[in-house]
Amino acid sequence: MIEMEDEFLSEEDLDLRNMTWEELVAYWNLWLLQAQATNDADPPYTHGVLVDMTWDDVPRTRETGREHEA
Amino acid sequence: MADENPYVELTAAFNQGRLRAILSSGQAVVMHRLAVMSKDGAWILREDAEVMQHVLDVLGERGARYRLGAPLDCRWLAGGWSAHLEHRRGPLRLRTDFVTRPPRLSEGELDRVWNDAATTDPPVLGLEPLAKLKKTNREKDYAVIGELARQMPEARSQLLFSRSARDLLRLAQVHRDLVEELAGQRPLLLRVADGRDALEEALDAERRALIRANEKRLLAYREAMQAWTAVWPEVAAQAAALPLAEAHAIVVERAEGVLPWAPPDENGGAP
Repeated sequence: MIEMEDEFLSEEDLDLRNMTWEELVAYWNLWLLQAQATNDADPPYTHGVLVDMTWDDVPRTRETGREHEA
Repeated sequence: MADENPYVELTAAFNQGRLRAILSSGQAVVMHRLAVMSKDGAWILREDAEVMQHVLDVLGERGARYRLGAPLDCRWLAGGWSAHLEHRRGPLRLRTDFVTRPPRLSEGELDRVWNDAATTDPPVLGLEPLAKLKKTNREKDYAVIGELARQMPEARSQLLFSRSARDLLRLAQVHRDLVEELAGQRPLLLRVADGRDALEEALDAERRALIRANEKRLLAYREAMQAWTAVWPEVAAQAAALPLAEAHAIVVERAEGVLPWAPPDENGGAP
C-alpha cells in the first residue's frame, strides 16, 4: 500500500543532505549571490524584534530613500 | 574547491580565541542541511562586554554600519532587544543580526545551548532550540519546524515539535506513554485519539496561537522603541562617516535614556 507523507520542504531543499561540504558551500554562496537581485525588495528585517517592520516604518533619507545608517 | 561561506567565515571570526557567537536562524537551517532560504545572518552572542567589543571589532574591520535597532551592548540585549548591522563583501550585502536572549528559550535552555555549541565547529544552534526560535509569526517557519522535528533523534522531541499529523499518529502508536506524559507540555497531543482530522485542526490552531503570541511580543518592542526610531535619523547623521567604534559610542550615548533596557513587562525574551 502506498503511504503518503506530509511535505514541508521541496526535494531540492532536502537534497542538501546528499552534498559534500564543498558542494553545500558552493550552492549556498551561489544562492546568496543570486538573492542579491532582490535586495531592494527585501523586508527591512528578517530577525530580531523588528521583523514586523515594513519600509514605511523605517526612517529613510528624503534624498535617496535609503535607510539611515550610523 | 568552493570558496568559504561568508557566514561561516564571520562565525569563525567572532569565535576566534573563545566561544562568543552561535550561528542561528536561517543560516543554522542551512548548516542542518534543510534548506537555503535566508540571506541575512543571525547570531546568539554571549552576554559579556568583551564579546560585544570583539564582534564590533570584527565588523568594524569589514566596514559595517549600524541599522536602526538596539546598540550592541549587554544592557539592551539582556532585555531581549536585537542589534542590526550591515556591511558589504564584494557583491554581497551582509546583514548581521544579534541577540543574547533569543525568544522562547528559558535560562536553563540557553545554558544548554551554550554547552552544546562548545562541541560543534562552527557553533550552530541545535535542532530543538532552533525549532523554538522558529515559532515566529511567519508561516514559512512552521514548514522548517516540521523538517527540523523529523531530524530530531528522540521520539520525545519529535512529539513536542512535529508539524505533521501523520507523523504524530505514527509516533503515538509506538510511544503511547510518552504522549500522555508530554500532553501537559503540548496539549494537542490529547487529540491523537481523535484521529488525523482533529489533529490537523489542532496543529492549525496551535500555529495560529503561536503566531499571535509572537505578534504580541514584537508589538511590545515596537512600542518601546518609538522615541528611538524618531531620533534615529539624527543619530545616524551624527555618526555618519565615522569608523564603527566611534559610531557605536555615539549610538550608545544617544540611546541611553531614550531606548528602555527592556519593554515594560518583558522579562528579557524568555517565554
